[in-house]
Amino acid sequence: MKNLLIVISILILAAALAFAQGQGSSNVEKGTVHSMELPVIQTQLKSGPGLDKVSTLCNVCHSVDYITMQPPFPRATWTAEVNKMIKVMGAPINEEDAKTIIDYLATNYGTGK
Amino acid sequence: MEKSTFTRRRFLKTAGVLTAMTALGEIPVELLAAIDERKMVRFPEKTDMILLTSRPPQLETPFHYFKELITPNEAVFVRYHISQLPTSVDLNEWRLKVGGNTEKEVQLSMDDLKTKFEKITYTAVIQCSGNSRSLFEPRVPGGQWKNGAMGNVTWSGARLRDILKEAGIKADSVEVSFDGLDGPPLPSVPDFVKSLPLDKAMEDDIMVAYEMNGKYLPLLNGFPARLIVPGWFATYWVKNLSAITVLPKQFEGFWMKSAYRIPDDPCACVPPGTGMKKTIPINILDTRSFIVEPADGSALKAKKPVTVMGIAFSGGYGIREVVVSTDNGKTWDETKLGKDLGKYSWIQWTYPWEPKKSGKYTLMVKATSSIGQSQPFEPLWNPAGFMRNNIEKIEVTVK
Repeated sequence: MKNLLIVISILILAAALAFAQGQGSSNVEKGTVHSMELPVIQTQLKSGPGLDKVSTLCNVCHSVDYITMQPPFPRATWTAEVNKMIKVMGAPINEEDAKTIIDYLATNYGTGK
Repeated sequence: MEKSTFTRRRFLKTAGVLTAMTALGEIPVELLAAIDERKMVRFPEKTDMILLTSRPPQLETPFHYFKELITPNEAVFVRYHISQLPTSVDLNEWRLKVGGNTEKEVQLSMDDLKTKFEKITYTAVIQCSGNSRSLFEPRVPGGQWKNGAMGNVTWSGARLRDILKEAGIKADSVEVSFDGLDGPPLPSVPDFVKSLPLDKAMEDDIMVAYEMNGKYLPLLNGFPARLIVPGWFATYWVKNLSAITVLPKQFEGFWMKSAYRIPDDPCACVPPGTGMKKTIPINILDTRSFIVEPADGSALKAKKPVTVMGIAFSGGYGIREVVVSTDNGKTWDETKLGKDLGKYSWIQWTYPWEPKKSGKYTLMVKATSSIGQSQPFEPLWNPAGFMRNNIEKIEVTVK
């Protein structure tokens, strides 16, 4: 009887371990397929003129936490960043919209310089 | 999708508890980490990580994980460059294409990788080029990492050289490029492709890894395979690897030619706030060391012994010595080095300390590699915020 209890205990423990191990991977692995669902995380930008352009155009390629993560920068730095996005990173943003975006960033995420 | 976020309100509550605990004495390092005001998020196969950006994801490892010799897979930092991530990979379909300037093009399945080539294993530090960028002064644009864009992982996989030999490298080849399954959100955006000089690619230890700490890689860390260039910055460690291309001329892609460049100078630095003239692609890790415990800002008790501990690593040369100062750099003491997992791994160090009197103390740590490379006292500066490696300091209050 005592031995039987020990055997049952071991079986329960083994089952629990198997369950715990399964927990880590069951949501991502189905046979040979490994998949994930990326969370959508909303970031609130400061309101101000140009916000609509920033929310739509910048957001095509990246989340706007790319903006909110930065420390305050002078206008020259924000200008260089926006120009880099257009000329180097291939963002299809026209000159007028680029100016609006730079103004918005320098005003709301700038150093005032 | 399960998601947990560390809100400001929760932060303030935690901060209140911490103030009370500070009055009582010691604070566990995990709780001190929670003082970090940045938002915590949970991505697939990852633990609670510090959110830098969500799309493409940049997730930082909470600092207390560096108490461990090996960083668990779920805590290793994540950094993508372009936003079309592979969200599903079927190993029945995935193939690693090896071709270009080769005798033949080969398509390797995961089974091929595991059975056709010798399996090699080593532990190596993975560190983002821009780790600690937010500590640059003047500040620079880019991923605003603190010190958590690094980890120490045991990698297993096939030697890149063996894979290249399978395809047969033509005699006039000079470089090898690496592409992953991630793609640009628009055709005008440059795809993330990196390259290595052929002689570097043919070195003994360059690996196509299919295991991280004995398990498959999380998708966000490169499943099903990623390139490992131990001793070099992680920008070359291409994730979700899909194509290896041998080239008869220098690779001209954006991520080599324009991005990830450092000043062509032994210090990789320029006067703070100035631009770069001649540049080269970033490459070898510089020597670094960190104090993990006590955590920055801890409260300790006078005449109560504590163990100061941390980590140190170099660009693949091991660590010869780690010294610690508890008096703001006036005097330095040797520390005891822990288990040696090889030249690419970080090493743990410990130092027994008993603060005699109450007051504020500045602790510092400095490592020297086996070839004598050490850390400067003052930070060096470059416009991209790469390669920070100055002597790190923390402050503790003794009561």
